[in-house]
Amino acid sequence: MAPSKDQLACVIPGGFTVLSLRFSEDDDHAALHQLCVKEHRVRSESNTDRPLDRTLFVLNVPPYCTQSVLADVFSRFGPIQSVELSDKPGVSESSDSDVSEYFRAARRQCFRVAYIVFSSESGVASAKRHPRSVPLTVSTAGRPVRTGVSKWIQQYSVSLVNSSSLQDAVDQFMRDFDQRKTEEAERLKQAVAQQQEDEEGWVKVTKGSRGAKARPHSEMANQRTLQKEEKKKQRKELLNFYSWQHRNTQKEHIAELRKKFEEDKQKIAALRAQRKFRPF
Amino acid sequence: MKKKWKESTLTEEKMEEPDSIQNEEEKEKKSAKQSKDPKRKAKDTVSDAGVLRPLKLSKKELYKAPTVEELNQLKEAENLFHCSILKMQMEELLKEVSLSDYRKKLVDSFVQEVTDFLHTVPETEVVELDDLSWLPGVEVPFLLVPPTAKGKFHMEPPASINVVGSYPLGTCIKPRVIVDLAVTIPATILHPMDAINQRYPRKRALYLAGLAQQLCFSEAVGSLSYSCLHGNRLRPVLLLKPPGKDSSKVTLRIHAIPPPDFLKPSRFHPQKNNIRTEWFTGVANKQQESSEPATPHYNSTVLGDHLPLSHLQFLSASSAQCPAFGEGVALLKVWLRQRELDQGAGCFCGFHASMLMAYLLSTHKVGKSMNVYQLFRNALHFFASTDLTENGITLAKNPDSKAPSLQEFHAAFSVVFVDPSGHLNLLADMTAFTYKQIQHEASLSLKFWDDPTIDGFHALLMTSKAMIRTYDNVFQLSELVNLQASCKKLSLLNELMDYSGNYVLSALPFILSLLQRGLGERIYLLAHSLPQDPEWPVDSAPPKHKDQPPLSIGLMLNLERALSVLDRGPPADNPKAAEFRQMWGSRSELRRFQDGDITEAVLWSGNSTCQRRLVLLEIITYLLQLHADIPESCVRFVGGQLDDVIKVNKEICTTGEEESLKVVQAYDDLSRKLWQLEGLPLSITSVQGAHQALRYTQVFPPVPVRMNYKFFAKKKNRLGLVPQEDKPCPYYITPIKVIVHMEGSGKWPSEHLAIRHIKAAFHICLGQLLNKHHQYTFNATPTYLDVSKDGLAFRIQVAYHREPQILRESLTPAGMLIYRDNAEAQALELETRHKPFLNSTLHGLQQQHGCFGVVCRLAKRWLASQFLLEYIREEAADLLVASLFLHPAPFTPPSSPQVGFLRFLHLISTFDWKNNPLIVNLNGKLTAADHTDIKNDFGASRESLPTMFIATPNDTKVSVWTKKAPSVQMLQRAVMLAAESLHVLETHLIDSSQKQDARVVFRPPLEAYDVLIHLVPQQVPLLAKAVDPPPITYNQGTYNGDPLASGGVLPVIDYDPVRLYLSELRDAFGDLALFFNDPFGGTVIAVLWKPSAFEPQPFKTSLMNARCVEVNGDVATTVPNIEAILQDFRIIGKGLVKKLELRTEKWAV
Repeated sequence: MAPSKDQLACVIPGGFTVLSLRFSEDDDHAALHQLCVKEHRVRSESNTDRPLDRTLFVLNVPPYCTQSVLADVFSRFGPIQSVELSDKPGVSESSDSDVSEYFRAARRQCFRVAYIVFSSESGVASAKRHPRSVPLTVSTAGRPVRTGVSKWIQQYSVSLVNSSSLQDAVDQFMRDFDQRKTEEAERLKQAVAQQQEDEEGWVKVTKGSRGAKARPHSEMANQRTLQKEEKKKQRKELLNFYSWQHRNTQKEHIAELRKKFEEDKQKIAALRAQRKFRPF
Repeated sequence: MKKKWKESTLTEEKMEEPDSIQNEEEKEKKSAKQSKDPKRKAKDTVSDAGVLRPLKLSKKELYKAPTVEELNQLKEAENLFHCSILKMQMEELLKEVSLSDYRKKLVDSFVQEVTDFLHTVPETEVVELDDLSWLPGVEVPFLLVPPTAKGKFHMEPPASINVVGSYPLGTCIKPRVIVDLAVTIPATILHPMDAINQRYPRKRALYLAGLAQQLCFSEAVGSLSYSCLHGNRLRPVLLLKPPGKDSSKVTLRIHAIPPPDFLKPSRFHPQKNNIRTEWFTGVANKQQESSEPATPHYNSTVLGDHLPLSHLQFLSASSAQCPAFGEGVALLKVWLRQRELDQGAGCFCGFHASMLMAYLLSTHKVGKSMNVYQLFRNALHFFASTDLTENGITLAKNPDSKAPSLQEFHAAFSVVFVDPSGHLNLLADMTAFTYKQIQHEASLSLKFWDDPTIDGFHALLMTSKAMIRTYDNVFQLSELVNLQASCKKLSLLNELMDYSGNYVLSALPFILSLLQRGLGERIYLLAHSLPQDPEWPVDSAPPKHKDQPPLSIGLMLNLERALSVLDRGPPADNPKAAEFRQMWGSRSELRRFQDGDITEAVLWSGNSTCQRRLVLLEIITYLLQLHADIPESCVRFVGGQLDDVIKVNKEICTTGEEESLKVVQAYDDLSRKLWQLEGLPLSITSVQGAHQALRYTQVFPPVPVRMNYKFFAKKKNRLGLVPQEDKPCPYYITPIKVIVHMEGSGKWPSEHLAIRHIKAAFHICLGQLLNKHHQYTFNATPTYLDVSKDGLAFRIQVAYHREPQILRESLTPAGMLIYRDNAEAQALELETRHKPFLNSTLHGLQQQHGCFGVVCRLAKRWLASQFLLEYIREEAADLLVASLFLHPAPFTPPSSPQVGFLRFLHLISTFDWKNNPLIVNLNGKLTAADHTDIKNDFGASRESLPTMFIATPNDTKVSVWTKKAPSVQMLQRAVMLAAESLHVLETHLIDSSQKQDARVVFRPPLEAYDVLIHLVPQQVPLLAKAVDPPPITYNQGTYNGDPLASGGVLPVIDYDPVRLYLSELRDAFGDLALFFNDPFGGTVIAVLWKPSAFEPQPFKTSLMNARCVEVNGDVATTVPNIEAILQDFRIIGKGLVKKLELRTEKWAV
């Protein structure tokens, strides 16, 4: 037999290994969260940040575990290359890492999934072998994790921004943005120029980029044209000209009255059902 | 681990409710379908749970050839009523109130039994009137004041017994069916001189007592008690109820009446005397008989007894002429009863309503062939347009020569409506104030009826207008025994004789007119409750006048004048000055005013609005004390009890009006300064407030404070103060949001991220300019700019009007520019467009209706204390309150905080959210056609719309403020809590003997929750604003003293640990539990598990959050990891959580 049952990794159907996680070392009887880990395996992974053999997929990561905390916790299984946290399993969300820190969207403080990339394959394996009875610890004496009041005070302190550094960030972005815009304009110009006649009167016909060639038009404009035509049609129509039209209008009127009558009857029936006619 | 969850937690119960109703309805419908008419399509389309679905009619049905009858019916509905629905509603209402055949049969047989029994009453010996020895076991229903009277009496069987009143006329309405039985006293018992000195009324009472004694032995009678007719103690009646389970269904009222022509009506001319002073006072009187004072009320009482039979004849004749007579009167009775006008002394009862209808018929004001609706409407129109206190009306066609003229009636009575005989004033007991009230109600009702946007039927006939919910201020006169003294003070001996010693009724008109004169232009209307008919058992003595419940006086305030602390009188040399001085006594003094006038004036106390709301109380108690000898302790002001919960400053007693004004002034100043800034790359196009404090509706408006820097840590570079961990939470400074729109320009980029950066640059720029020119400290972040000014904090957000549009733009692969709505764009639009707009509109509303803000604040305080404010947004709550002011039907716009709050609770608890949108016509922009459109759109897509749908002119289709919340369950809870609070509060306010204070409705019930998270009080920033504030207060880092106008270090703005904690909890556990908290100083967070989340689910990667795995064979299921979650509550709220209280009896782990 293998070593005592406690020392065995707990593997559940679905191939996940259950690890337990506690917040701090002080309290031995504290309730534990269960982390489910498994090697990351999908049929077609386009994301190069998650190499299939070295990535560990972790479920149920509590909100107070940030990337750095996770990196620390899992480093016991082997050196760690990167940690990615996301709200839902699946394709990685558009990261706004190229934006300066001031402009990043605030994260929801919810339970998340993590993709931990180890430097070597052995990290994944050793994590999967880890027994459930030995809990991982989030906040240790050497590396305390702030929560509660102290965390909120820190957050508040961070929200006080030095305006010059913010200004620098804005300037930097706008410089890049302007440059990008000029480049784009340049490209557009070239595309247009390509379609001009050359000296000999030839026009080069290419497939081109579709966006640039098509006349810029919007949905609204399309609808407006349609409406205009509709109106034109209506103007041309003759109303109550023929006697059958007149008859029809009368019929419509009675039908309208009838419909209203029936609707009212229905409303009353509904109210009666709720005993809404008892005045006192 | 096995987990069992008790199914019936709070929300679960709520959720199941509609289902059960649905099931029942379904069953009902099924049986109805099977049994009776299958033609009724309409009924079938009423979907489950009473939600209306769009109606589908087949083409064939719609276009079939109409019959003549159907055409007529449709035409009538179209022409005579606003719409056919009103006609149907009235028919339904009449069906509800009219008596069923079964009940009629019951009544008839009961009447027959009693009649038979009464005919067998045995004769007794003749005794003196004072001798009561022949009457063992029952008391005489008469207050013997003075105790002696001459005359002889004996019992005899009645001469005749007739059913009179509403029952034979068919105008009886349910509930409280009363059948009047007139028992004629045989002529042998009476004497022609009995009209004098209460001899006849005493004999009448004795006769009733004699009947009562015999009826005690009858098996047909269930219960027996005395009462009196319209509060008139001279006209006792005997109330009989059938035995057994029918006892509540009908009451038989036995009147004893003299033979029809026993006494000559001319004896009871209103100017004649029938009660001698000598007999009444017991003091020998030397005056001649001719100089005795007239006793008009006594006369009309005795005369009234002679006429029931002839009145019945007259009314039956009228009713026979007009087929809709009975139903018309029934509607009028419903209308009167909803307004509490049909009972008590001086009421306008069903009998009067019938008489009025007969009058309208006889004067051709209504036609014989008119329908119910027209009769009712014309009756209201008559009330509204005719002043019976000035121009009385008479039903007498050819009065005999001895009948008094209308002038003589007017001289004796305040309201005149003469009966067909020409001798009796039917409204003898009514005060002019009651008639004015009827007039007011009638004209108001007509106004509502003519307005197509109001559901007139509901406003007029279905809503009860209880006094406490109708009038802005209600004063109660208790300990009515004191009115005896006021009769003395006002020297009302003649009136006392006329009312046979009923000092309440004698003094009432005088007290009321005194108050009317004293309050003058401060009020629009003064109304009083009608003293109710007492009811007492036959074997006990009649209750004394002083035992009556308190008398209520309701005031409708003219808010422009009502709260003024100054009453300016005439100039000192004016002859009217003496009158003014007489009125106000020693309080009147000569004063010189700024315009140079020297006039008599009275100054009342009060600085803040909160205190000035008590000026009326001060005036009333003063006047009553001065002129009527009524001590202050007898006057109870119903109102002001609620002010406590929204008091901002406890020392100088303000309820936030003044503070709000200060905030608005500071904002105006900031706005001006922003406009004047120079050196901005783009110019400012608008500065708009987007915070509730700027529309006077912030529950606790921000108050300027001065910071104690030692209390805080400082961030480097003098960026601002930062709270310290080991100190209590600092004073909470609300950021007041201001939206600044910058001009549109080609310079704005057309990409969202770039726009955000540009906005950040603008924040920095604005901050630096403000700092440079005005020395305001600031903190510029990418999303906002905080500016500290005058001890307040303003949060400026730059907006660009095209930004939401840009967020919506996207390019299709074909190169077409399309616009697709998304959450981000909506949120931005909400902040930058809807909020400022709502703000300015409601600010305008506050200018029109002075107490809009304070009602909003009370309403939101209540919502917050019941944990509902996060589900019914503040803006939605403001709109709900706004609707009370814009669409007050059937009331008038509230002018006091309390009445507004009561109506708010009433609105929440009674509005049919399921089937109706609440339309708030801000600025009156919506037309009647718009209303119909909104209703139609709503009906067509009910399922996809929010549960609480509030439509405004700018938002007719979406209901932006209630889109996300409340959910069905939360709304249902709100409805339930509101109904309960309303009930508790009203009984509390009316009944002065209640021990609890009015705050009880602001204390949430905590029994229903699963976990209570108790917080550390020091870390709750608004602790002092709690409903029950703790006795200890903590230092929150503020100084007393004037705040800095500018400069200094940026204080800690918008730091609320409780809110941060809640948002983290909701983020992490929102799908497992609901979290509730009172944002104003609540020290408890209540947690309610969602029952659905606790069912074991199969293991899924997408459903593993905060759960633990259980392996069963080769199947893995997950359930929430409760212990770890509770542990997380502690971890996430470290430093804030004091303890967790688990209600494990509700759920087992």
